[in-house]
Amino acid sequence: METMQRYVSPVNPAVFPHLATVLLIIGTFFTAWFFIFVVSRNKQSKESTLIKELLISLCASIFLGFGILFLLLTVGIYV
Amino acid sequence: MNWNCLYLAIISCLLLLNSVKAEIINKNVERYLDLSSQLVKTTIKINAEDSAGVPIKEYVFTAKEANIAYISAKDALNNDLKLRKEQSNDDQRFVLTFEKALPKQTIQIETVSVGNVKPYPEEIKQNEKQLVKYAGLLYLYSKYKTVTQKTQIKLSSSNIISYTQVKPFSVSSNKIILGPYENIKALSDEQLAIHYENQTPFLTVNSLERTIEVSHWGNIAVKESIEMIHSGAKLKGSFSRYDFQKDGRQSGQSAVKSYRTYLPASATGVYYRDMNGNISTSNMNVQRDFIDLELRPRFPLFGGWKTQYILGYNVPSYEYLFSAGKNYQLKMRLIDHVHDNMAIDKAVINVILPEGSSNIELMTPYSIKRRQNEFIYTYLDTTGRPMISFSRSNLVENHISDFTLKYTFSRVSLLQEPFLLIGFIYFIFILTIIFLRLDFSIVSYHHNKSE
Repeated sequence: METMQRYVSPVNPAVFPHLATVLLIIGTFFTAWFFIFVVSRNKQSKESTLIKELLISLCASIFLGFGILFLLLTVGIYV
Repeated sequence: MNWNCLYLAIISCLLLLNSVKAEIINKNVERYLDLSSQLVKTTIKINAEDSAGVPIKEYVFTAKEANIAYISAKDALNNDLKLRKEQSNDDQRFVLTFEKALPKQTIQIETVSVGNVKPYPEEIKQNEKQLVKYAGLLYLYSKYKTVTQKTQIKLSSSNIISYTQVKPFSVSSNKIILGPYENIKALSDEQLAIHYENQTPFLTVNSLERTIEVSHWGNIAVKESIEMIHSGAKLKGSFSRYDFQKDGRQSGQSAVKSYRTYLPASATGVYYRDMNGNISTSNMNVQRDFIDLELRPRFPLFGGWKTQYILGYNVPSYEYLFSAGKNYQLKMRLIDHVHDNMAIDKAVINVILPEGSSNIELMTPYSIKRRQNEFIYTYLDTTGRPMISFSRSNLVENHISDFTLKYTFSRVSLLQEPFLLIGFIYFIFILTIIFLRLDFSIVSYHHNKSE
């Protein structure tokens, strides 16, 4: 007990709302880019865009994932 | 050889004689009975002595009182004494063991018992006063002789209808002093009855379910689900809201309009609700080292009436959770204050740990009944959160103390929830990519190309 330290959250709970906002905005931006990219893709062209699509969507899902997590923490759902 | 035998015989004879003659007597006994609430709080100071000067190692305290919820014993230096409980036919015996055996010992015993102050009459009308009867013992029930003893009784009001009168005694407003009585035989159980007015809230918590949910994102959520009954004199006849509102002092004196609950000072996001939703008739006052919550049920509680509600709040984890590497320790109150002079029939405590906790070890300040561990599934759970559950019946305010729960948890598991979310979203993106690559059109592209 004496050697133990008080446990604090890895992320300060005071910044949860800000983190949620920022991460969700970035995530939405990547999502938008992904859809614009996919829709405006020239279907006749031979060049493969698969890698680029996967990368953009990965970025979007990482930001959205963390954004949703901090949104949940902000509203009081302590997962 | 012969001499040796003779010595042995003499010594054993002496020892036998000694053990017959030497006995513990209560030189002086002072009892303080606090009957000002629904509980009977007794403090007994005993100066015990051995008549032959033999050091006393053990002292047997016999409790004739029913429903003793709490008992503690202290010696002259205010150190806690060891209590060993022995159940005999109809009374409980507690064997106190002293650290140092001395011919003279001073003991201070504190007991709290529930349900020994009974409403009498059992049913009253809305505008009547609540009278109660206490039935106890005039003298300290002890297996030892008592030389002198005195009893001081504190009542809730100076309106005393009747009480056992054994001279000498005196009464001043709400205090009764009985004694000093001299030379009382061992195991004398003369009755003491007091009939008096007691308007303090007679509230009993029938069941309390306390759920503590630990999140390693820095929060501990506490939720208490409480069922409460007014266990005083039952309401006879109908309830008149008009009389109650018009004449608050005369009407419904024994009714409970509101009561206070104390929460930890760091509590945030407090809610108080029942099946219908939020109960808005409550006030929260933040004090320096606790939060004073004034809970006002939807209706005044009369005798025999019940209420049910949920009270919850969040506390930051750094107040109660400690860590060293992978090892964690939760140190929290087993039960918390519900109302003053509370009596809890049954309490169930559930502790929900984060997903992936293992090597769980529970330490409690007093004996509890362990229940089966379960797994709870809430938001973003896959394998379930381990829930440690235990119960105890007959609790009072003196039982408010900390339990310790040790467990191990790997910090990496904290990232499981965000990865679950990321995986889910990424899966949707991949589905989109696949669908966009599939061709659902009726018109064939080859035809277009050839043009």
